[in-house]
Amino acid sequence: MVSKHPEDQTARMVEMFDNLGADKYPLEQYKYIGQRIPRRVDGLDKASGQADYTMDIQLPGMLYMRFLVSPYPHAKILKMDTGKAEKLPGVRHVLRYDDPGLPETENIGYFPIFQNDRPLDCIAHFEGQPMGAAVAADTEAIAEEALSLIEIEWEERPFILDPVAASEPGAPLSYPERYGDGNFWNRGVLDELIHGDIKKGFAEADKVVEFKITRNGHTWISPERPCGVWKWNGDCAEAWVKNQRPFVAKRNITTWFGGIPMNKIQLHMPYQGATFGGWTHVDWSFGGLYCAAAVSRRTKRPVKYILTRREDFYGSSMDEGIYFVKVGFKNDGTITAVDGTVYHVSAIHPAFSPVVHLHENTRIPHLHGQIKSIWVNKGPSVGIRCEMLVPVLVQTMVMDRVAAELGMDPIEVALKNDGCQGHDMDWLNEQKKKCGFEVHDSLKECIEKGKAEFKWDESWHKPAARKLPNGRMHGVGFTWAHEWSDSTGSGEVAIRIERSDGTATLLGIHCDNGVGAENAYCQIAADELGMRMEDVHYNPHFDPGFHLNSPDSSCGMSANGWAVRHAARILKQKILESATSPGSPTQRGSYAPAFPNTKPEELDIKNSRIFVKSDPSRWISLADYARLMAIQGPVSNAELFGARSAWTEPLFAYAYHVQEGEYNPHSPREKFCRQAHFMEVEVDTGTGEIYVTRIVNVNDVGKVINRMSCEGQQYGGSIMGMSRGKLEEIVHDPVTGVMLNGNLIDYKIATIKDVGPIGTMLVESGMGYGPYGLVGIGEDIATVVPHVIAPAVYNAIGVWIYDFPITPDRVLKALGKI
Amino acid sequence: MAEKSKKYVCPYCGEEFDAAEGLKGHVFKTHKGHGLPVSEGGIKLTVNKSEYTLKVKPNWTLYYLIHDVLGLTGSKQFCDRGACGSCAMIVDGKPVLSCMMLAAECDGKVIETVEGIAADGHPLIESYVINHAMQCGYCTPGFVVTSKALLDGNSDPTEEEIIEALAGNICRCGTYPQHIIAIKETAAKLRVEKSAGKGAK
Repeated sequence: MVSKHPEDQTARMVEMFDNLGADKYPLEQYKYIGQRIPRRVDGLDKASGQADYTMDIQLPGMLYMRFLVSPYPHAKILKMDTGKAEKLPGVRHVLRYDDPGLPETENIGYFPIFQNDRPLDCIAHFEGQPMGAAVAADTEAIAEEALSLIEIEWEERPFILDPVAASEPGAPLSYPERYGDGNFWNRGVLDELIHGDIKKGFAEADKVVEFKITRNGHTWISPERPCGVWKWNGDCAEAWVKNQRPFVAKRNITTWFGGIPMNKIQLHMPYQGATFGGWTHVDWSFGGLYCAAAVSRRTKRPVKYILTRREDFYGSSMDEGIYFVKVGFKNDGTITAVDGTVYHVSAIHPAFSPVVHLHENTRIPHLHGQIKSIWVNKGPSVGIRCEMLVPVLVQTMVMDRVAAELGMDPIEVALKNDGCQGHDMDWLNEQKKKCGFEVHDSLKECIEKGKAEFKWDESWHKPAARKLPNGRMHGVGFTWAHEWSDSTGSGEVAIRIERSDGTATLLGIHCDNGVGAENAYCQIAADELGMRMEDVHYNPHFDPGFHLNSPDSSCGMSANGWAVRHAARILKQKILESATSPGSPTQRGSYAPAFPNTKPEELDIKNSRIFVKSDPSRWISLADYARLMAIQGPVSNAELFGARSAWTEPLFAYAYHVQEGEYNPHSPREKFCRQAHFMEVEVDTGTGEIYVTRIVNVNDVGKVINRMSCEGQQYGGSIMGMSRGKLEEIVHDPVTGVMLNGNLIDYKIATIKDVGPIGTMLVESGMGYGPYGLVGIGEDIATVVPHVIAPAVYNAIGVWIYDFPITPDRVLKALGKI
Repeated sequence: MAEKSKKYVCPYCGEEFDAAEGLKGHVFKTHKGHGLPVSEGGIKLTVNKSEYTLKVKPNWTLYYLIHDVLGLTGSKQFCDRGACGSCAMIVDGKPVLSCMMLAAECDGKVIETVEGIAADGHPLIESYVINHAMQCGYCTPGFVVTSKALLDGNSDPTEEEIIEALAGNICRCGTYPQHIIAIKETAAKLRVEKSAGKGAK
């Protein structure tokens, strides 16, 4: 864009630099920001069944494609006969792994730093892996029947499931094609963190404890299964994608089949059915779409690929593994050293050090943590709401174990150790000041609110000390962490004022994963533009060429919020400039300005009306200002008959925001905002059943944009977290390597009956790096809450359980009953 | 006349016979050992107040018929085995899991889907919207349908009754607390409407 007003761009750039610290330009008044905005942008669509997901897309002549999956945890196809499948009526194409048209090495997707899988492999490294063949047929049922007719001669290979055994010399190789000399994958990326001198730290301690944690895999369970639709329009590609990163999808597609120009790819991002990162992060997640595209090209028909519910159990979360933790501490609860090692199962990503949170939010002077990535014959573990599961699990167990060892209130231990990068609160408060923030003690504020709401002082007691009248043991647990939303990413967005009615449209493709960010963008745009909320709309599903930051890393608001705000501010300035300037010149001269002899700064916009600040009776609505669309263009009908009416230039602005935050190792930023969570349980010591009777969440989100959305992340995250803490695990048969519970009957997730009341409280310290001082909240609660169940159960029964999820059999085992 | 023109049609191959004996002989001779015949059957059903006469295949579920064949895509398939409630529809006044019911079983039935509930202007929809009783929204239609069936039979459900009614609906985003609020609000609205003589839908 060639700006008529270069100073606007400069102003925006200045603002961008400023956001390295506190937001120095908040609005004087908020009309929509911070409010309970009940009318969700997507509300009516979703409640009335009109919201279309990729699974709902049906096109004329569309074929349905399903994949062969490996019945073995590690096996190679030696010979495959697809003759019978091809002859089944209704089958239109069978794509084989040895098809000469398929790439041997082509990058079908994902990040270049990770491995890229072939779209159809002939070797399976876990049971249930889509591979070998894909069948496209008139119906899904026919495709499924055809798959059963494929005859295969397999070479079964030795497999291994246990990460510690897999790390021993001579263990069977789980993935010899990638890791020929052992099952380790040490990429040296973020897998080791050291600060201070760990030996010195333990020497300074009054007491040292060591413990081992196991966390079985749990998975994303996206309600909508992995799927995608492909259609060729000549040499132009049209794709409906289930993936939370539209720009990655497009970037991948552009490399396929020798190259498809970006301007010939039409992407649709329908509603996504909650991805939580999961499927998006799987290397192969574009393999299905690639095969659909290849088959569509041959059959000249649109193709939809679908994985089954069981095939959606493709991989697990990034906390799956075995943890060895050693903690040194003084008798007053001050922690001096933590050393943690995790044997991490089949990590597709760079995982985070087990002590990275303790580095970011405590004063513990001596830390060492490392991740040993071990590949076993299970699906890959990927970031699922979220990568921080490992460090927050360690933080909870460390803090609460220390409190238990000393018989202290865990809240006291938390406050004693709060800090940052080994420094105490005085140092941290200095950093807050340096960044321009008003200094708050975020953890203290969160705890005070939460303690009062939860009635902590009356609820907390010595372990195994309170038996309830119903015979169950009562317990409470507490944990805390910082708020994280400080990844590296970028968002770009445009806003256009529509002709005829003056409404505003936000333009930028984005994944709707249910968190309601779209609402918040509209709130920001409405407040910044001075428009009514109902006049601002955002449809994230279509591709206008602008890409918002994906909802990863809780960065939707911190990256995109800035972009929307920049765009709205530039656009507002443009509108005011335009309203006070003559319209564009024509052969008959320029059009008169709407507000003659007025300067832009003398005008303002409120309630979708432009008005003169000193005389608000002089106003024009944006609708009138943006002009009607007439028969031959955006001028009034009168123009056709010789009369002259006003004409306004198109009102459009774009902006972007680049965030270089925490995940960028070159510019880590201190974390100032904290969160605290309280849980109450009742444990039936006869059955081992844990009843979660109450949860209270307190999150310092810096600044609330949409109160209802924030609360939704709190109670929703609590329910998912509780579900992960006591119910969710993927179980494999050790003898065959086959997954035993890949369905929603045998893999338990929380229902409405599993939840007691959840109290949701928000703190607004303004100490976030996002616009208005906000930080994201999307991942926090579901990531932190799973582990608070351990101290709560300890408080109830007086025994620590280190194996997650904490199921009834593990409770009974801890009690020595089985 | 009617008796005279009656034909006996082979359910395997469609060949016609004038007498039952002829058909029996033909089946015995030609289709011995073929198992039960599989042929398309016609059904009549009412979906959201519209009547349909349809040929359905024996393996079609009610979900497939409504979602894929009729294109009413509001009902969603989540678990695919009767565990999650996302495909709930109201059949003859009762909520059923449409992935667990065969289309062929629905001859003569009256079906109500989320689209029908929305088209009737049921206040549940607005209550769901203003209470954020949704996040990703995939399971939401199933909750709306189950809630509507609850309210049809119980104009003032207690919290326990609501929880019991929704116990078979899974929401991965964890929106459960909002459903209780939305249903209670709707019930109150419907009771006011009823006492004002408008009548509940």
